[in-house]
Amino acid sequence: MMRPPIILLKDGTENKQGKGQILSNINACQVVADSIRTTLGPRGLDKLIVDSKGATTISNDGATILKLLDIVFPAASVMVDIARSQDAEVGDGTTSVVVLAAEMLKRMKPFIEDGVHPQLLIRAISRASEEVLKYLNELEIKINGKKELREMLVKCAATTLSSKLVSQERQFFANMVVDAVNTLDENLPLNMIGIKKVSGGNLHESRLVKGVAFQKAFSYAGFEMQPKKYTNAKVALLNIELELKAEKENAEMRLTNVSDFQAVVDAEWNILYDKLQKIADSGANVVLSKLPIGDVATQWFADRDMFCAGRIPQDDLDRLMAACGGSVLTTVSQIEESVLGTCGNFYEQQVGSERYNFFEDCSKAQACTLLLRGGAEQFIAETERSLHDAIMIVRRAKKNDSIVAGGGAIEMELAKLLRDKARTIAGKEQMFWMAFARSFEIIPQQLCQNAGLDGLDIVNKLRHRHSTGEKWAGIDIHREAIGDNLDACVWEPSIVKRNAITAATEAVCLVLSIDQTVKNVRTPSGGAMPGLPGQ
Amino acid sequence: MAMAIPKSGYNRFMKEGAQHFKGTDEAVQRNIDACVELASQIRSAYGPNGMNKMVINHIEKLFVTNDAATILKELEIQHPAARIIIMATEMQEKQVGDNTNTVVILAASLLEHASQLINMGMTPQEVAAGYEQAAEKALEILPSLVVKTASDLKNIDEVRHYLRSAITSKQYDNEDVIAELVAKACVTTVPSNSYNFNVDNIRICKIIGSGVSKSTVMNGMVFKRGAEGEIKSAQDARIAVFTCPFDLTQTETKGTILIENADELVNFSKGEESEVEEQVKAIAETGVKVVVAAGKFGDLYLHFLNKYKIMAVRLTSKFDLRRLCRTIGAQAQARICAPAVNLLGHCDIVKVTEIGDENVVVFDKKSEKGNVATIIIRGSSQSRIDDVERAVDDAVNTYKALTKDGQLLAGAGAVEIELSKQIESFGEKAPGLEQYAIKKFAHALETLPKAIAENAGMNTTETLTKLHAEHCAGNANHGIDIWQQELMDAVQNNIFDLYAGKRLAIKLATDAAATILKVDQIIMAKQATGGPKPRGPKPQDEDDEGMA
Repeated sequence: MMRPPIILLKDGTENKQGKGQILSNINACQVVADSIRTTLGPRGLDKLIVDSKGATTISNDGATILKLLDIVFPAASVMVDIARSQDAEVGDGTTSVVVLAAEMLKRMKPFIEDGVHPQLLIRAISRASEEVLKYLNELEIKINGKKELREMLVKCAATTLSSKLVSQERQFFANMVVDAVNTLDENLPLNMIGIKKVSGGNLHESRLVKGVAFQKAFSYAGFEMQPKKYTNAKVALLNIELELKAEKENAEMRLTNVSDFQAVVDAEWNILYDKLQKIADSGANVVLSKLPIGDVATQWFADRDMFCAGRIPQDDLDRLMAACGGSVLTTVSQIEESVLGTCGNFYEQQVGSERYNFFEDCSKAQACTLLLRGGAEQFIAETERSLHDAIMIVRRAKKNDSIVAGGGAIEMELAKLLRDKARTIAGKEQMFWMAFARSFEIIPQQLCQNAGLDGLDIVNKLRHRHSTGEKWAGIDIHREAIGDNLDACVWEPSIVKRNAITAATEAVCLVLSIDQTVKNVRTPSGGAMPGLPGQ
Repeated sequence: MAMAIPKSGYNRFMKEGAQHFKGTDEAVQRNIDACVELASQIRSAYGPNGMNKMVINHIEKLFVTNDAATILKELEIQHPAARIIIMATEMQEKQVGDNTNTVVILAASLLEHASQLINMGMTPQEVAAGYEQAAEKALEILPSLVVKTASDLKNIDEVRHYLRSAITSKQYDNEDVIAELVAKACVTTVPSNSYNFNVDNIRICKIIGSGVSKSTVMNGMVFKRGAEGEIKSAQDARIAVFTCPFDLTQTETKGTILIENADELVNFSKGEESEVEEQVKAIAETGVKVVVAAGKFGDLYLHFLNKYKIMAVRLTSKFDLRRLCRTIGAQAQARICAPAVNLLGHCDIVKVTEIGDENVVVFDKKSEKGNVATIIIRGSSQSRIDDVERAVDDAVNTYKALTKDGQLLAGAGAVEIELSKQIESFGEKAPGLEQYAIKKFAHALETLPKAIAENAGMNTTETLTKLHAEHCAGNANHGIDIWQQELMDAVQNNIFDLYAGKRLAIKLATDAAATILKVDQIIMAKQATGGPKPRGPKPQDEDDEGMA
């Protein structure tokens, strides 16, 4: 009898291993990086992505693009992960982290092909990256002083924005973003900066509301009669439905005579009037509620020259609380002046085709709203993403107040220092260090390529400048030349670079360390029955 | 097998579709081949220089790991003989939580050598008997090879050395960082009687972003959620814990409230409000600054909690709640009430903070000792974090094993070579046929250092020869130095293996090998279709694609 082959794994399981596996993983990561490579830098181009639902997104944010790409290749998903992690940790530099990781892998590929044990590479890479981070710590410049700090933040925001769609208006938006972040409390909560998008108008009409602005809520008859402008308004934030409604769902009435019935009806009205009266008595003149405010209440407030709006989204309400103070009330039985927020200036205004409510000059002022204007919907959406990145950068920079020069300057300097260090190493590790150092140069090279400059030429010039001790020499894209980027105010928070290097190195180590992929068959209906051996 | 051929022999007795394999050739050799194949799959994952495997399991979850237990679990091995080895590793994982790869490699190597003996003409039974005898001897020798006993399990520096070797094989490069974290966490939570150390007291919180080196450990707990109310932090806080939702109690029985006249209607909600306020006020008066509840926080309750400046945290998991109680020393209340002061917990800092872009609630006890420690693992990708988590798990288990049995052996392959040497000489003295088997056992042990050397890219034969030479010269602690690619004294370099882990691994591997050798017939009945359907993550199809 023939001996059937031994089947260890389930039928249909894919199993790949060995050197070929590592190489194919590296190639897959290259492909991912290639897809977003061209978005890097001020002259980077945008991608238009149509997802499975037909929604279009225009973006040059690495994390956004990769998220939409829906990558299924297992090793390549590591690249998506590091972009995500960079987004989570710093909020910007997502493209550079992917490009950097892919370049490191590319530089390591020949060694793998030559039969170097991947673990040796991993060891060298992680040691080298420790060294790089040490250099970074030495190179970074700490910013002191209040005025300098603000300037630094603006410059960092401008650098981030320069690579985005809104790069023409970067100074305008950079100031706006820094002002926005400066209004926040010491935890810098992101959700206290509201971003509202109104299409129409142009970018310059975008504004920062130091306070809260939101679209006019659905309103009942009587709303028109209410005043729309107050100075020194007292704001009551409620979580109560101001409408005639059952007190409790599972309550039941048993009435014995007709007069009782009328009394009950009156009582229901009285309960509502009672609530309204209490609100009015507390001195509030702007009443906002998460839940609907009915027409009876609207008219009642209108009679007393008070403003009201119902169905305010939770996050707007949270921001109002952070801006005006006070607290959200679930019951009005104990409403008093101390729980009301105060707001210096309240008014309603037309923005584009929408009516907006504005709350400005608030007492606590720890929230703000960015009101974005612009042409197409996708354009504003991308502006929002860009501003989000800038906000994140400013937040991080505020917590870690040290910077490095961007535009490829820091990468070139790190590469140079690494190369110097590598020369002191005996043995084959030297080659790995050299290759690792070389991979940093991809950032300036890619910047040049995207700007239509000769990457090789510029990188060589940069290398020369750095070797003569100009440690902040980088590319000046706008002049298409080389210059001192520290003086040119192309600044980036050092934490962006630190995180990018850490994440890229970890990803590279991970990809290099995989020598086998086993892909089990996807069971359509839970675990299938175990099969038989030899059949 | 074509259907037309009339069945003969054993098959006649059995139902259509059943299979059977018999005899040394058909059953034993096949089984051995299967196990060797299995080991060759995961052999490259062994040791500090082991490579990772990427496994995508049947629900398309991605694993990147070199932890043998995880790989084997996700591989869905089908072969019955190979499954025996896997069962042995599962046992190892349960008992010690580490050294699973050792079991597989050793068992497979034993079988491989057995195959040669069987080809030589020995019966599998004789081989198995010889192996068992050798294993017995090995376990006898092993205690004499103990080089150190972990005495001070509360000293971070010392503990770190012991854990390092367990982590090195999982997270090469990060071993120092992780060893430090785990050592700190273990030492923080270990009770005064270290025998009662509980693995459950070390929690892991995984947050993507930054790098593995930014992972931290803290005394207390971290939950990936925000606070419910407006109060986001509290210091030096008394904490009340409730296992119920912090809301108006709903009766189990469906009931309606009967309102008979208008006054009752008016007063109804007033009564409710004042009752809630009284409850919250009573809680506030006991000095509570934080309320933790297992369920929803009712709007009305939250209103009063905000009013009395009490922070509200909602935890959904009962287990988390129990652990939190242990951390802060609180006793959970089953209904909303103002607990007595001795039932309240205490924590130095409770706050909502941002790690990466994740909002977390931190219960931080500032003290040196604590009941629960949390290791916050950072990393650039999910698979990386998961793998670090597995390494931490292994290290914590190693610590646990240390608390039970603090004896340590020299690592880096030293102990295997020494054992092999001694068993070889023991084999020489054996009078019967078992001599061959015992000597093969000694050879099989060498596979482990060989795998280390091989994965480190060293010349295996040369390394083994050198090792043998050193050991014969009396340097019983010499092992492989994968960094310098030469030999070194494992004890001096603080590379230790757990005595308990090695012992169990040898025992389990031998048992598994012997069991497989003793099988001379495989009968597989036709697999029944129907029966209880296996539970899956998705709704099931109409009929299971079984063996019909």
